[in-house]
Amino acid sequence: MRFFKGRGKMDAASFQVTSKDFQELLKKFKASDDFLTFQFPNDDGYIISYFNSLVSVQQLHEQVLAVMSNQPKKVLKQLKGDIPMEDMKLTADLKDIQRLVLAGSIMIQYKQDDEMCLLIPCVHSVKRQISTPESEYTVVGSKEAFVESLDSNLNLIRNRLPTPELQSKEFRVGSISQTRVAVLYIDGVVNQQNIKTVIQRIEDIEYDTIVDISFVSQMITDNRNSMFPQLIDTERPDHLASVLSEGKIGIMLDGSPHALVGPNTIISFFSSFEDYFQIWNLGTSFRLIRLFAVLFSVLSSPLYVAVLTYHYQVIPMDLLPILISSRGVIPFPPILEAIVLEGTIELLREAAVRLPAKVGSTIGIVGGIVIGTAAVEAGFVSNVLLMLVALAALASFTVPIYQISNTIRLIRFPFLIAAQLYGLFGIALCSAFILSHLLKLTSLGSPYLDPLYPLRIHDFKDSLIRLPFSKQKKRPQFLRTENPLRIRKEAEKRNPRNDIDE
Amino acid sequence: MEVKPNETKQISPFFVFFLMPGMQIGVGILGFERIIAKEAGQDAWISVLISGLIINVLLWMCFKLLGRGPQTLDLVAIHKDLFGKWVGNAFNILFILYFIMISIILIRTYLEVIQVWMFPGVNVLMLITIILILVYNFVEGGFRVITGFCIIGLIIASPLFLLNYFPLKYAHFENLGPLLDHSFLEIMKACKKMTLNYLGFELILIYYPFIKNREKSQKWAHLGALFTMVIYVVSILVSLAYYHQDQLKDVIWATLTLWKIVDLPFIERFEYIGISVWLFMVLPNVCLGVWAASRTAKRVFGFRQKKMMVLILIIILVFCIFLDNRYRIDKFNTVSSQIGFYIVYLYLPLLFIWQSIVYKVRGHKS
Repeated sequence: MRFFKGRGKMDAASFQVTSKDFQELLKKFKASDDFLTFQFPNDDGYIISYFNSLVSVQQLHEQVLAVMSNQPKKVLKQLKGDIPMEDMKLTADLKDIQRLVLAGSIMIQYKQDDEMCLLIPCVHSVKRQISTPESEYTVVGSKEAFVESLDSNLNLIRNRLPTPELQSKEFRVGSISQTRVAVLYIDGVVNQQNIKTVIQRIEDIEYDTIVDISFVSQMITDNRNSMFPQLIDTERPDHLASVLSEGKIGIMLDGSPHALVGPNTIISFFSSFEDYFQIWNLGTSFRLIRLFAVLFSVLSSPLYVAVLTYHYQVIPMDLLPILISSRGVIPFPPILEAIVLEGTIELLREAAVRLPAKVGSTIGIVGGIVIGTAAVEAGFVSNVLLMLVALAALASFTVPIYQISNTIRLIRFPFLIAAQLYGLFGIALCSAFILSHLLKLTSLGSPYLDPLYPLRIHDFKDSLIRLPFSKQKKRPQFLRTENPLRIRKEAEKRNPRNDIDE
Repeated sequence: MEVKPNETKQISPFFVFFLMPGMQIGVGILGFERIIAKEAGQDAWISVLISGLIINVLLWMCFKLLGRGPQTLDLVAIHKDLFGKWVGNAFNILFILYFIMISIILIRTYLEVIQVWMFPGVNVLMLITIILILVYNFVEGGFRVITGFCIIGLIIASPLFLLNYFPLKYAHFENLGPLLDHSFLEIMKACKKMTLNYLGFELILIYYPFIKNREKSQKWAHLGALFTMVIYVVSILVSLAYYHQDQLKDVIWATLTLWKIVDLPFIERFEYIGISVWLFMVLPNVCLGVWAASRTAKRVFGFRQKKMMVLILIIILVFCIFLDNRYRIDKFNTVSSQIGFYIVYLYLPLLFIWQSIVYKVRGHKS
């Protein structure tokens, strides 16, 4: 999907102007029925052409046609001074004409077949209203989420970080789609090497249509074959603002309501933005609960398979009768039970995503309760395993980031196979394989298992535990920022010297 | 041949503290008590202590060997400096074989534990192949990845050291007396038998160039070696307190058998979990051994380290096929212990003395 091209020869997504000259370009435009051409104000006046679907008709009437109707016909250069619009261009360059007309500009020619035209941007953009976040919903905190228009998104960010150091660099990717990509960072805080890497990778993207930021993420990520996401996406402007000021880099695409953030570490698996909205002890406890949920979700059915197939001696004596009675009627070995149940849960999940809302909840109840109970009654699966798999499925959704919950769903299967092959030892082997993968993984150059390895004691303050803001004076070390201090003033000391009742 | 790797492949000196136990604590801790108690009886812990202290002295000698300057940054460079190219390379080849031998012992003994305690009928060849593929994955990542694995392995396996609590409930500390009832010679014999468990610190001679701020790492290396010693001493104290001397003669894997006593409410027999988690202590050893062997081979012959590594893994596989019963494994263990003893207790001090003489002579000359 990604082909490295020597950079410097072409800029990002240079598209070919396929028309040889102006007449051919105009003919191609006129082949579409929504391209209007007319003369204004009379048969002798300017030739005005534009794509009806892209242009804001109100601006056209009020700012352009109103001005032109009052005056005698002038040369385009003088007309440019009269019209009260910004960023007008007088050009004969085919590339510019093609790009701007297809972005919503009006083309004005002095007379027919003239190659020199005046291009006036009158863009009519169809935008979604700013709404609540879908996947990163928090109970407290702002309910604004990004929308598809890059300009609205930049507005949301700049409102939250009103500093000139917040800089945005724009590029275009996709040879046909010419989509705008913006890279955001706070100069003076971010590491310059990271910026250079990101910009170079974006410029190296070669593809025809880029419609979503996840395409960009797959193309610029460090390891394209890894199930563990190295770039996290977020749809909340407050989250993006807060990580930008930590020293991370944000990437946004026109047409996508998510922003990419990097570099990340594995702690992003467990940390949600909501932890920062609560007192630090609560935030810490929820993070630990999430860690336990992830481990449970990945290991519960493999452990069931391993213990019941090979190591029944591990089960405590009191639990043994329950397990025997529930497993006694099942004709299948534990691995088949586990695969059947996991497969059913995956089917249910995939189906639930695509069903319309009204039918979806019914299917959830039908699928979950009825099929599950029926399976147990029929003797296909044991209810212990049913409970474990359902809990594991639930636990995999506690992860705040959607991509990681997908990873957790799928990592379970190698563990299941390993458990069937070598029992508990197989689970240990499989974890060692995954550990070897994680140790080699980097996210934009910084190691993925930070702060566990390389051991940075300072970064532990915001990992599995979250210490209060007063203790987080410095930015995370793995980002290698240029300005590590976050809080300058010493917090005023409470008065500790007073004795009781003094 | 490039001795110094560039900055992005180096580790900070603090991690040497984890590398030491990571390499020394392997599979020996599971069953060393019987061998030592045979010689020294209830004073075995004294010999473990003395052995650990001697290892620290040897480690100090290693640092002295390495610290003479950029021409002695690692073992290959030291040999070249002292003996010239051809004789030095002969010694290097011996060391390559020695590292391979350590790796073979580790893997085979651990797999023997698996065969005896978990899966009696398992196909050893298949299991060895899977483990060797795993080792390939780690070593391919480079020295930083292996160090990370050592650290994480220690962290994952550290709860297992807390299991020493359970036998203490049934301990008879009077087993430890009468103190110093054995002669000095017997205690020294036990020290000799103990060497196989302390082997691994000499790898510092291979990975010394990979440490940033090398001088600072000496403190951490000694602390790491002392940490290993403490773990071994605690282990043998607990075993001596729990077992009677006659019992200890017959129990091959003393520490493992002690794990049977563990009484947790939700797990009936803990040793299965313990042995599976112990993989994370054995694998870093093997990875370091294979890495050291392939790196030395690369420095000596000039071939690519990846190819050398595959060759070494195949050699290990072939050897493990030959070691297929207890008698052979035991014999191999004893032979390796002897060779390790001679290399560590004889060759290293001789090298140290020889280097001091040579440098004095050179100093006088210039």
